[in-house]
Amino acid sequence: MLSEKQLTATSTLPENRGVLVARKHHLLVRWSHWLNVPILLGLILSGMAIYWASPVYQHNPDPQTGNFDYMADVGNWICAHVPGLHHYSSPPDWIYNHMSLGPGMLGVALRLHWFCAYLFMLNGLVYVAGLALGGGWRSLLPRRTDVGDAMKMLRYYMGRPFAWLTRRTWLHPRFTTKYNALQRAAYFSIPLAGFLSIATGWAIHKPMQLSWLAAIFGGYSKARIWHFWLMWIFILFVVPHVVLVFADGWDTLRSMIVGWSARTERSDGGEK
Amino acid sequence: MNREEIHEPGEPRDASFINAKAERERPEYCAAEAPSPLPQVEPSDPAAALEPQTQAGHEEEKPVALPHVDDPKTAEIEGQQAGPDEMPLLSVVGESESVGSTPSIAAEPAPAPKAKSFFQERPPETIEVAPHVLRHWTRRDVLLFGVGAIATLAGGGSLLPQATLERLGIIHGNKTWPGKEWFLDRTLRIDDDVAEALYSQNRLVPTYTKSQITPLKNNYNGATPDPGYIPEWHLTLDGLASGLSVSLNIRNLLTRFQVHEQITRLVCVEGWSAIAWWSGLRFDELLHAYPPMSQAKWVRVESSVNLDASGNPDPYFVSLDLPTARHPQTLLATHFNGQPLTVDHGAPLRLLVPVKLGLKNVKAITRITYMEKEPKDYWAERGYSRYDGI
Repeated sequence: MLSEKQLTATSTLPENRGVLVARKHHLLVRWSHWLNVPILLGLILSGMAIYWASPVYQHNPDPQTGNFDYMADVGNWICAHVPGLHHYSSPPDWIYNHMSLGPGMLGVALRLHWFCAYLFMLNGLVYVAGLALGGGWRSLLPRRTDVGDAMKMLRYYMGRPFAWLTRRTWLHPRFTTKYNALQRAAYFSIPLAGFLSIATGWAIHKPMQLSWLAAIFGGYSKARIWHFWLMWIFILFVVPHVVLVFADGWDTLRSMIVGWSARTERSDGGEK
Repeated sequence: MNREEIHEPGEPRDASFINAKAERERPEYCAAEAPSPLPQVEPSDPAAALEPQTQAGHEEEKPVALPHVDDPKTAEIEGQQAGPDEMPLLSVVGESESVGSTPSIAAEPAPAPKAKSFFQERPPETIEVAPHVLRHWTRRDVLLFGVGAIATLAGGGSLLPQATLERLGIIHGNKTWPGKEWFLDRTLRIDDDVAEALYSQNRLVPTYTKSQITPLKNNYNGATPDPGYIPEWHLTLDGLASGLSVSLNIRNLLTRFQVHEQITRLVCVEGWSAIAWWSGLRFDELLHAYPPMSQAKWVRVESSVNLDASGNPDPYFVSLDLPTARHPQTLLATHFNGQPLTVDHGAPLRLLVPVKLGLKNVKAITRITYMEKEPKDYWAERGYSRYDGI
């Protein structure tokens, strides 16, 4: 909860008077944003359990263990090098035990994957409806100045920890849009990645009836590779997304719950 | 144009404010975009003359606090022209007359300046809200969010497989709720219905050239049967229109039916696939030669020679819908890479149905039965889909 002091601090109004807040996220955008958390988690957990049944990336079988799965190699490496894991019962399964429902669960994983996939598609429609109704889509469109602005933001992020350590001032680049150029690139790419995940998913799921779709991605086998790496795009997005939203503060996190922001000035940061 | 607008009805502070007379506290600010912003006043009240100026104030982007008027009693019409960022003062005579009678417009957006392009980002809509209303909104929304998050965690978590929950230490022993299997199976049925809707008997699957052929390993799920069954092998047809049971050996089949060739992709439920060159008779031609009973909608395709992983007999059976059996690329294959099938690949006759997952492509078929009702399916009994259309 925001104290009155904080609220009024963002406005010129004295206490007990009105507070200016800016509308930020449409209700449907907020709903679909948060629903993505359990849905994507379910998709990744079940997806990696499906991957286990026939890994996309394989090497020639190891003469001693017969293992051909790079994911099992990663598990072996982790258990050999991470302290406390030296006695892990099944090192080749470490990745699957920690990043999926578990090994040997193809049937249940497929069922859960379809369930989450249909929800993900419905949720995508809700998100698009929210963008259209709230007009938020305009803030996501790339601009001509984005490449240069993104470089400025990158420079800012790179220098921020150093500036903090040396107690130097390190000014946030000024911008007057809802998102900075890096944010815009991320928030534009992630719905695109969602769309591509759905398209490659259908290409893998129905490679005969939708063979034209599989052909767009280079055929059935290549569509599997696309689908696999699109999962990593979501994972690689989520990590800085969560770190930066917490770094940015409660107002930004709250705005995705309540829909408004008490920051009505446009150049006061707002990165996440 | 006073505090009343921004208070929830029934809030204690409202009452205290209403009691407060205008001498003590002036209406502080305008919510800039009141559709009908004037307080209800007597028709003869000179304040009505303020309307044009008040309207002008609505064009302002940001509503700000009204300047105080030192002596409200003297304010007949004091629509002072404020600075560019300020609202013109609306001074209301009649003291409490206007209080409590204005429209409730706590959350009206400020009008945005006209954008130059349809695609151009608009400035955010700002609204002016009383702090305690904002607190109320925050409390309500964060609480709702928390309740939703807990409900989703519980609901979603309970859909996870038993083994996963046990491994996470969340449950111990066999704890499942009765609706879970039904619910997840329902998802499979919906997906099967989608697959069936996508299927078209006229849509051919992609075919490949011989240079695109990829290796196909022995995928017997368990032990490969001893080839001793092959000399005695025959195919039995049941559920025919004639009411008879027909038995055919491989020579009958190869002399009676034309052999077709195709290089198609076999896709396994596990995810791997292989492009292979198959030859055999069309299932559709067998259906014409030995018509099924008129009410038949399904085919049960069975191999009695299948073994389980320990080498014990484990008959394999799948369900196949008749429209798929009639697909021109659905073969009863006799040859693989130009050679008669080996025992690895289901000698002497296997089902090759490229519009289905590999698990429907039964090796070493021994019996075909036409049925009215959907037959059992080996892998559907083990939690997989039934239709398996790809």
